[in-house]
Amino acid sequence: MFSTLLAAVLAATAMPAQAFGQTATVAQMQAEPNQVQDVTVVQGDGYATLAWTHVDGATDYQIERTPIAEDGTATGAAVIVGVWRPNRQINNDKPTFADAGFAPGNRFQWRVRARLGTTAQPYSAPVSGATKAHWGDLNTPGQNLRTQWEDTLGAQYTSDVNEYAYTAAIDQLSERVRVVEIGRTINNRPINMFVIGYPTPPATPEAVAATNPLLVNCNVHGNEPGDREACFIMARQLAFTDDAATLDRLSKTTMLIVPTINGDGRAANSRGNSTGQDLNRDYSLIRQPETQAFVEMVRDYRPIASYDGHEYGNTNTGDLPMLSPRHQNVAQGIFDESQNMIEGHMYTQGAKDGWWACPYGCTGASVGLGEETILRNTLGLKNTVNSLLELRSSGGPTRPDEGNTANNRRRKTYSALWTFTQFFAYHSANASNITTARAEAIKFQSANTGRIVFRGSRPIPAHPAPHPGDTPPPLDAPGQDQILNQPPCAYKLTEAQYNGARTDGPAGRQTTVAQRLAAHGWKVIKVADGYLVPLSQPERGLVPLLLDGQAAEGLVDGERIAPTLTGTHNGPLTVSGVACLAGATVRGPIRVKPGATLIVNGSSINGPVDASGAAGFVLTDSTVHGPVNATGVRGPVVLVGNKTNGPVNVVNNTGDAPLVAGNTVNGPLSCTGNTNAPVNIEVANTVSGPKSSQCARL
Amino acid sequence: MTDPLTRAATSAPRRARRRATPVAGAALALLIAVAGCTGADGTGSAATDTATPVAVTVTGPLCDVLPAGDEPGNPTSLAGQPADQALQWIPVLTTFEAAVRATGLATELNGTEGVTILAPTDDAFAAKFSRTNLDELLLHDTDELRGLLRDHVVTGSLPVAELAAAGTVTTLAGTSLTVTGGDGGARVADRADTVCADYRTANARIHVINQVLGSLPTTAGDEGDDHHS
Repeated sequence: MFSTLLAAVLAATAMPAQAFGQTATVAQMQAEPNQVQDVTVVQGDGYATLAWTHVDGATDYQIERTPIAEDGTATGAAVIVGVWRPNRQINNDKPTFADAGFAPGNRFQWRVRARLGTTAQPYSAPVSGATKAHWGDLNTPGQNLRTQWEDTLGAQYTSDVNEYAYTAAIDQLSERVRVVEIGRTINNRPINMFVIGYPTPPATPEAVAATNPLLVNCNVHGNEPGDREACFIMARQLAFTDDAATLDRLSKTTMLIVPTINGDGRAANSRGNSTGQDLNRDYSLIRQPETQAFVEMVRDYRPIASYDGHEYGNTNTGDLPMLSPRHQNVAQGIFDESQNMIEGHMYTQGAKDGWWACPYGCTGASVGLGEETILRNTLGLKNTVNSLLELRSSGGPTRPDEGNTANNRRRKTYSALWTFTQFFAYHSANASNITTARAEAIKFQSANTGRIVFRGSRPIPAHPAPHPGDTPPPLDAPGQDQILNQPPCAYKLTEAQYNGARTDGPAGRQTTVAQRLAAHGWKVIKVADGYLVPLSQPERGLVPLLLDGQAAEGLVDGERIAPTLTGTHNGPLTVSGVACLAGATVRGPIRVKPGATLIVNGSSINGPVDASGAAGFVLTDSTVHGPVNATGVRGPVVLVGNKTNGPVNVVNNTGDAPLVAGNTVNGPLSCTGNTNAPVNIEVANTVSGPKSSQCARL
Repeated sequence: MTDPLTRAATSAPRRARRRATPVAGAALALLIAVAGCTGADGTGSAATDTATPVAVTVTGPLCDVLPAGDEPGNPTSLAGQPADQALQWIPVLTTFEAAVRATGLATELNGTEGVTILAPTDDAFAAKFSRTNLDELLLHDTDELRGLLRDHVVTGSLPVAELAAAGTVTTLAGTSLTVTGGDGGARVADRADTVCADYRTANARIHVINQVLGSLPTTAGDEGDDHHS
């Protein structure tokens, strides 16, 4: 009697959703062999996470979705929407799968079945639920905004006109948001940035930088718009959410979102900008106004972590290919923390929520190499923990191949939204690790130690299969001709090189080397016969990639200036012209004559250092027993990562803001009368004596 | 020295708000979601306003994953629209649609005579052209691109059945296309199949096809890494 009833009930479950609530209970009590058990569904924004109990010996699992009405009856065909495979996640004993692609708000029933080899086993009992509607209460101002993409259910991407209206509406309705125009495209489209903080964002770029901000660059390739749509939704969420945890995060940092750096390419549906330049091959060279605006923004807002959004055309890959800054000139700590962001945070959270993050390529494709022109690497060389993000391909091993349809667009955009939301969570949970890595990187780079690699990547180690990281991108080690073992002290540029007109860049919009180095924020010392760019500064790893004749994609062939003193000097040292001390020992005072330049890396000086009236004064990674005077210097003053026994005076300097960062000063630090107040770019100094006036907060 | 970013950072918010002020009301009206949510069109275009009462039926294997029923961009909602506007609602045609805008072909498509548009999918374009080649066509070689598009447009608004029955049709470019029928669709130039046919617009039929026609050389795969972002 009972078995007859059970058979009838199980037959019913094979058809979609007939009184499934009751049948689920019965089916769970009387499992068939290898039938998936304990299926649960949790709704996220634009996706639904299915989880179930692992079946011993399962090769993979198929996930089936059926649209249903309120009463549970099927309103459409059951479709296999996913295949779970062991390399999708790090912990195979707790399989999860993020189903996505559906229109938000619709109601579905899901079932899961294991396969042994290719033999399908019985389906699980069904679970059902209503998916989340588009984020935001329709009766709450601000929350009820929607983008064109949302309103059309993904049939259309958000146009430039709709973007500006949506952006202006958020700006107007939320005190948490300030929209800043960071530049214009060649065709004069605004490049906007959401600056988001709680209760209000800090007022100036310098004040934002002090909050250790995080950045999402949403859409550099105009024909890869999926991340951009996620950014619009995230901006609305951050602007109008009541979620206490999010508001707490926003009270401690600032979120920067650049939705559309390439508005001209987006409008034309082209990869490049209006000239056809691939902007993601231009972040170091900054020939284009779009990339120049972005790099200037990075200089001024100083994000400590970043994501760069793309879409991937490869059909044989995971949901979310990611990659850290691999260029070998990127400081080890920045690479390591970027890897931790991906492998530590994203792989772990992906396993919980059912998204498959993996190294870019995921299949060993020859992608994700060491070009410093790519934002991923450029930002790494600027000491920003960051990753590339690719949105899943049209087809793939675990998702249906639905081309550029609304289903697939929604999968891409909501997986990007998940990633950026997780990125924010990662940043909040790891801010001290990130800032520590950044401070160490700035000190390391400023020390100008170690070889220079013109092109070449750090290896991404493979995890034993099955694992999301079992197939990393190629090794991409530098060849011998791409390595310079003895770094120069500086590069010297002629007047023509520095200020001369250039032919690269769009017609009528070409910029000089001087303008580009200023956009990067680099220190340049005017000397009698040209311009010196010292390597001992925070973006040291990028300097030779633009200024050395051996560079793969250089800007100009600067003259390598070798150190002038690397050994021991006994007695007083008087500097005229340009002196560069690298790994030197000076037993005696150093006096820089007015108009002369002194650059010191990794040296030990037993005596006072007086750079009064110098053209430029750079002191990094050194020990000074005696007072240090940077007074009346006309050009750059850079004091990074030093140990000094004695007072440090930064007084009456007339150049750009003196950089005083990461020093240990056994004595007072006095700063007065500088035209631009000294900065530490969030790398604190340890000062035993008083910190006065302009240096009070350094 | 001027610092454009600092200037922008301090003045832009006010500028942004100024920009917002005159449009705020309209912007909000357009942006606020409509309960029920169908046809709340951010561009305010005619998708729902001019929907004709006659239901349009499209045919082909790809139709299942294109807007249907009362979803924005459903075939019936496009029936009253100019062809270039209707193209904006068919998600798999973003490349073709961008190419129409890049070349200014809309005037020819919207002419009173009526046309049949054989529109290749985004996947078809990706299989035909390298990304560099496609950017060159969209941004620089628009004359060449216009020629390519005209290879995909036939004079007269032909339902797919009539297209298949015609056997041979002539494109705006003057080239002849052989057409054969089968499975409720058509095969064009012995290489492209209709995958969702019989979209109707104000004066055109749009048949979505799965291959690029014309005589331009295939460049997809020429670059070592054609999918690199």
